[in-house]
Amino acid sequence: MKMTKIYEGAHQWVMFGRDENKPDNIIDSNQYIVRTANKCLLLEPGGTELFAPMMAAVLHHAPVEQITDLFASHQDPDVISSLGLWDQALSNAKLHAPALWEGYIRHFGCESIEYVPIPDNGETIKLESVELQIIPAHYLHSPCNFHVYDPVAKILMTGSVGSAWEGANAPVFVERFDSHVEKMRYYHQRMMPSNQAKRAWIDRVRNLDIEILAPQHGRMFKGDDVKRFLDWFDALQVGTGV
Amino acid sequence: MNSQTKSQFIAVASITSELSAVMVVAKEISLAAANAKAIAFRAGDKAKGFQPITDFINELAKETIELVTNINVYALLLYRLTVNEYRRTAAYNRFEQVAKLAVGAEYADSMQEPIAQAKTIMQDCQRQFKRDVTQLLGQLEAVMHHARAARVIAANSRIEASQAGEYLQSLQAVAESVDKAAHTIHDNVQRCRIALSIYRNS
Ligand SMILES: [Fe+2]
Repeated sequence: MKMTKIYEGAHQWVMFGRDENKPDNIIDSNQYIVRTANKCLLLEPGGTELFAPMMAAVLHHAPVEQITDLFASHQDPDVISSLGLWDQALSNAKLHAPALWEGYIRHFGCESIEYVPIPDNGETIKLESVELQIIPAHYLHSPCNFHVYDPVAKILMTGSVGSAWEGANAPVFVERFDSHVEKMRYYHQRMMPSNQAKRAWIDRVRNLDIEILAPQHGRMFKGDDVKRFLDWFDALQVGTGV
Repeated sequence: MNSQTKSQFIAVASITSELSAVMVVAKEISLAAANAKAIAFRAGDKAKGFQPITDFINELAKETIELVTNINVYALLLYRLTVNEYRRTAAYNRFEQVAKLAVGAEYADSMQEPIAQAKTIMQDCQRQFKRDVTQLLGQLEAVMHHARAARVIAANSRIEASQAGEYLQSLQAVAESVDKAAHTIHDNVQRCRIALSIYRNS
């Protein structure tokens, strides 16, 4: 599992992905952690197959007992099907996940972890002194869906938005936006159901100061590429499956 | 899923399916008893010896149904336990994998406690399963006992039937059906016991 530190200040952000040992037939995904002095938050912990490499990778940054919080943007298996295993490994943790999906996500196993339901209009997660904003991103692509914004690190974790289906050797950042577009187009057109939802989300996030836009699959966008992505997505017609 | 877990799932699932067949047959016996009672009543003195037997058959069928109902509840618990054991074992195996992959990681040692805990829970599940299987085998033994008793009764019924004159044939048919049913129960329960016996407490 490749680890890339994407923010280093009073707290840290680390991106995990490009797992070279994962079976070929499951999609590669990006996981993120936010690390403070005594706590660690896992964003999009990943699928069951990813649990062992992910946990082992996190142990480079935090001891098990300090993994106190998990976040799932939506209910899909590549996002959170590892929950049943985290549930047995962590003795004192919370899962922040959409309220609407509680009955669904619990199918993955959630006995010792506390499910903290995120209401439709979002909320704030406090990790020691770090305050993370949970931003609604409904219908992108899941009907109840959230992104995580860190105003200090200026990172927006966007789950499915900005994702691309890429190989395990792909670089972690977009290098040439124009050619990267081709890797994202079909994904966004097919997976995102609503132009109206897209519009509302873009209006909301254009007001945020974003240095890194960090999706769950594919590459992250840095600096000017963030704005390029928002412009591109703004102009794209989505919901092409019907 | 390894083959040990797989066969454990199959063994537990087979109890429920075998027992549902037992239930059907036990209800058949109960029906045969009611039928026999009616015939014996009509036969009057000619079937005097048969009358108490019909009550006995009925009682036996009722007890078997009750036993099987209890066992079914128990089998469901056993199934849940198997699912839980599977889940716990899978987690333990993944945790071991974490320890292997985390060699050299700064906080690798922190995984030791969850591993030890997972191991204890997994072993508790295995012990509990063995305990419960042993108990279930005891309950199945009781059903077998009933089946054997039913066969003895069927044999007696045949003797009594032979003295019932023109009712001979219908009473013999009753004895026959009780015997057949008892046989089926015996065989089905025996299959359950064989499937489970490898998991009992040694
Ligand atoms: Fe998804």
